[in-house]
Amino acid sequence: MAKSGDGIRILQGLLVFGNVIIGMCGIALTAECIFFVSDPHGLYPLLEATENDDIYAAAWIGIFVGFALFALSILGIVGVIKSNRTLLLVYIILMLITYAFEMASCITAATQRDFLTPNLFLKQMLERYNKSEADNNNDKWMAEGVTKTWDELMLQKHCCGVRGPSDWQEYTSTFRSRHKDADFPWPRNCCVMDAQGSPVNLDGCKLGVPGYYNSNGCYDAISGPMNTQAWGVAWFGFAILCWTFCVLLGTMFYWSRIEY
Amino acid sequence: DKLSYKPKLSMASPTLGGLTTSSTFTLEQPRCVFTSLQDDVIIWLVVAIPKAVPNFNNSVKPGSPEREFQKFPTGAGAYMTLNTTLFNYPCPKPPGEIAVLRVGSETSCAEDNTRPTCNGPLPGPGPYQVKFLALNDSNPVAETAWSDRITLRTARQLSSIPTTGSGRSAGMIALTSILSILFAILLAVPVAMLVFRGSNACGGSSSFSKPEAVTVRRYNTHHVYDQPAARL
Repeated sequence: MAKSGDGIRILQGLLVFGNVIIGMCGIALTAECIFFVSDPHGLYPLLEATENDDIYAAAWIGIFVGFALFALSILGIVGVIKSNRTLLLVYIILMLITYAFEMASCITAATQRDFLTPNLFLKQMLERYNKSEADNNNDKWMAEGVTKTWDELMLQKHCCGVRGPSDWQEYTSTFRSRHKDADFPWPRNCCVMDAQGSPVNLDGCKLGVPGYYNSNGCYDAISGPMNTQAWGVAWFGFAILCWTFCVLLGTMFYWSRIEY
Repeated sequence: DKLSYKPKLSMASPTLGGLTTSSTFTLEQPRCVFTSLQDDVIIWLVVAIPKAVPNFNNSVKPGSPEREFQKFPTGAGAYMTLNTTLFNYPCPKPPGEIAVLRVGSETSCAEDNTRPTCNGPLPGPGPYQVKFLALNDSNPVAETAWSDRITLRTARQLSSIPTTGSGRSAGMIALTSILSILFAILLAVPVAMLVFRGSNACGGSSSFSKPEAVTVRRYNTHHVYDQPAARL
């Protein structure tokens, strides 16, 4: 020991405690990101069709970073208790790399959140919903994903369009080019359905009688889960990184105090 | 005879979502308007473009070439549809009932020339004017006034929707800058440590204090032999 005083002992204790917290947070981050990647709300096809699904990339990085943090925290605890210079050097270097990855993940998630506006989903819905002719396979795949997702969304969350059923009236769309306005002012799934999956009152739905059609927009149902995911990855990662910053500084200081 | 009633869009409350679409509109039913009619009189709805309103002839038979839906609006200035008897417009109107007429809801006969009185979807955003006309065997018996101009919705092109981002939010900027600063500090500290260790200044000085901590005690043999001699 360089200085066998209480100071070093306290520093050791603090570093072990810090690493324990990092380990637990790493597991929590992995679990949280696995939850997001599993897409419980079924909104991934909408994101995929924007051709910019960085929020999911950030969650994937989060899974591996969380696991790396857990493994490195164990290494750190062993290194601190044994006061082994080599172990701690390896720990510091690997931690810096993990730090960089997690930083990338947080910034990506936060930036992507700003990209997802109501207009983006509106345009995507109008372009791709019910699209039959596609330019290529990829396009066809995305259109099918968007159509299926919107159908389920409108059915389960009792909503219609992004801001409301008037979206289908205000703008031209692929749907409008395939279905006449008089028969389908808005898609069938905007109607209130009975248990068998057919509209309760089709004429009432076409007329827009409140109670027979869904008059509110789906944007809240989309942005709610996506916000949770973006904030969950970005800000929880940020909190972990702030704590890791302190632990790393302490470890560097401890490393410099160890005798050769 | 001419009644003063003006047909108008349905005033149902709460407002119907599909009151006007790009090819249909919804009128109030003319309840309690035609008061002195016989049972077999047929009430027609006349839909016309404003140009055809001033010289509209009530005696032209519904379904004749001047009144064909399929020729509207270029070949025929008006058409007649939604024919029914007074039986379907009972008076008084029961409260809570939504009594409407949806103009433009029949899509199946829109191209069918054998159905000139089809209630087909309107071909454009309008404007249009309507009135009700009661005919007894093709003789006009009663009519309402012409409605105000009814304009339908026009859909905007979807390519006009702006999708440029709303800019950077404050949270994202704060997060990025704080993380960058922290990372920079983390990289700078070991570099600083290396630099200072090389120049032998503060920092890891405790390891360099090792030589001073160990003092070699030299035993002076002279000194040791001298002392017992001094005592003795």
